[in-house]
Amino acid sequence: MATPLPTTWRIAWRNLWRNPRRTGLALAAIGLSVTLVLIYDGVLRWEAGWMVDTITGPMLGHVQAHAPEWRKTRAMEKTLRDVTKTVAALRADPGVAGVDARVYAPALAALGEEGFAIMVIGVDVAEAARPARLLQGVTTRIGTREVLMGNLLAAQMGVKPGDRIAVVGQGVDGSLANDLLTVRALISTPVDSVNRQALIMPIRDAQDLFAMSDEAHELVIYGRDVEQAKALAAGLQRLPALSGAEVLDWQAAQPGMYELVRLVEVMWVFILVLVFVAAAAGVANTALMSTFERTHEFGMLLALGTTPSRIVGMIVLESLALGATGALLGTALGSALVAWAYRTGIDYAALTGGGPTNLSAFGMNFSLVIYPWLTAVDIVRVVAAVMVTSLVASVWPALRAARLQPARALRE
Amino acid sequence: MTTIRQRGIFLVGLAASAVVAAAAFAQPAKPPDVDAVLSHLDDLYRSKSSIARIEMIVTGARSMRTMRLKAWTRGEDDALIVVEAPAREEGTATLRVGPNLWNYLPRIARTIRVPPSMMLGSWMGTDFTNDDLVKESSLHKDFESRIDRRSDSPPGWWLTLTVKPGIVGRWARIEILISDDGWLPLQERHFDRKGRLARTMAFDEIRMLGGRRVPAHLVLAPTDVEGQRTEMRYLDLQFDARIPDDTFSLSRLERSRQ
Repeated sequence: MATPLPTTWRIAWRNLWRNPRRTGLALAAIGLSVTLVLIYDGVLRWEAGWMVDTITGPMLGHVQAHAPEWRKTRAMEKTLRDVTKTVAALRADPGVAGVDARVYAPALAALGEEGFAIMVIGVDVAEAARPARLLQGVTTRIGTREVLMGNLLAAQMGVKPGDRIAVVGQGVDGSLANDLLTVRALISTPVDSVNRQALIMPIRDAQDLFAMSDEAHELVIYGRDVEQAKALAAGLQRLPALSGAEVLDWQAAQPGMYELVRLVEVMWVFILVLVFVAAAAGVANTALMSTFERTHEFGMLLALGTTPSRIVGMIVLESLALGATGALLGTALGSALVAWAYRTGIDYAALTGGGPTNLSAFGMNFSLVIYPWLTAVDIVRVVAAVMVTSLVASVWPALRAARLQPARALRE
Repeated sequence: MTTIRQRGIFLVGLAASAVVAAAAFAQPAKPPDVDAVLSHLDDLYRSKSSIARIEMIVTGARSMRTMRLKAWTRGEDDALIVVEAPAREEGTATLRVGPNLWNYLPRIARTIRVPPSMMLGSWMGTDFTNDDLVKESSLHKDFESRIDRRSDSPPGWWLTLTVKPGIVGRWARIEILISDDGWLPLQERHFDRKGRLARTMAFDEIRMLGGRRVPAHLVLAPTDVEGQRTEMRYLDLQFDARIPDDTFSLSRLERSRQ
């Protein structure tokens, strides 16, 4: 049995091509399944990373800190104190990549006489302008008494860049806060409520306007790795600078968003299973057909003294060769497509015939331009899955062939 | 047959208990007519027109602020409130004409209409909402009212106002305690749409103001924020004074200040 194996391989390979059309079809089925799985894998890689980045980047951060009751009441006076010191302490932490201190103040804004309910958000502009953050791509310098306005709010109010608007709210001490501010630029962010309602200004200006000292409603903290958010939150909670503050990772702060990400993953697994059922059916069908029509031939081989185990080996090898070839073709095609898509991006809107380029869910705008990517693990996993599927699909036909009675098989 | 007889007995029983109950309730005093009481309450601080000086003290978790206001009213629909102190907010004014509310801000010399979405927002950082300034007169219209029960101490009657079906508003029910002598308000309890007690108002310091006996002092306290309250005290009140017609106009609002 030591030497015959390469022979069995050769015979198996030749057997495969005795019916080129059928084998070609089976290869196409397997190859396309693998291609699809790799594309889904690639999209998932993009989605898992990009979706979480979209959710955490602009608004939530990986970890947030607030005064204990702020999230519930959103009351102006529930603030964190000594923000400058706290932010410095946080930035010194090796696990922290960035901190954005924010003020949120409901107010009334008016261009003319008509007032509109808005939200003033004071941010650390330098921090917020970094990639994937709230003000990504905003290069406008915001001077004193200048603000950025959400584009949808501006449309509703009829505000153009350069307009002076009145802003009226309530200071943290209950006093009247009011000022005239110039809208420096309009912004479009991934966060719907910001586009619809927000006026954004440097946190120092917001603190001045609302009679606040060195305080903030929220510290948005970015870690080195979003996967480690929970651990980072637990670690930061122990810092003396945040003692008494409520420190939450993004999943705890926005369980709805987290569920959304999980839902996408579960749907993906469902599709994966469907694709593999299709692939398995293709392989099993080919293996079964080719053994049934060769019953006479197997009878002959058995009569000539071929051992049943060698026949089993041959059929299994045929199946494995089919699977491996299909997987190879599929991997080549899938990887090439993913690589191409990664470079150019897939515009989902164009694919669906000019629909929206953004998907809005939970008040977030997710870009529908997809940049899929793969790792070696994805390819190894899908090839291994095809091989296992091929093996399993060939077991029954192989055993059936091995149990043939030569005399009876020859009569077929 | 049995059902009819049973129902008959039941009715007799019901009638008997009603008589007993009526007798028990009728003891202390005859309940006043609810519409008369409401009209009286509506008119109490207002009359055909009024001019008032008011002191307001807002106590919050972090601060205490005192404001002095001057307020003009005409009929049920028009009102002007001007802040006289503190200096930082002097001249800030709120004008109400019908359902509309404008704020005038002297520091930035702008008049801004308060949008419907901000009606439940705080008025000038107090526990009063913008809505309180506007809705005051619609109790009659939006609520079904009845005399609910007797109060022994202080002696008076509890009125219950239940919101009419189809009316959109903040309160589902308002309870008002009025005194026996002069039907003066002593207490109000406001229940929200979920039936929770959301805030209370307590009236006291009954004295003569502008020729009427009225509570001069009231404390408004929301129930959900501990230590938070707004006190309001009438320093001076004139009724049916002559008020120039243009008092309640936007142009006057902007012209007269600054």
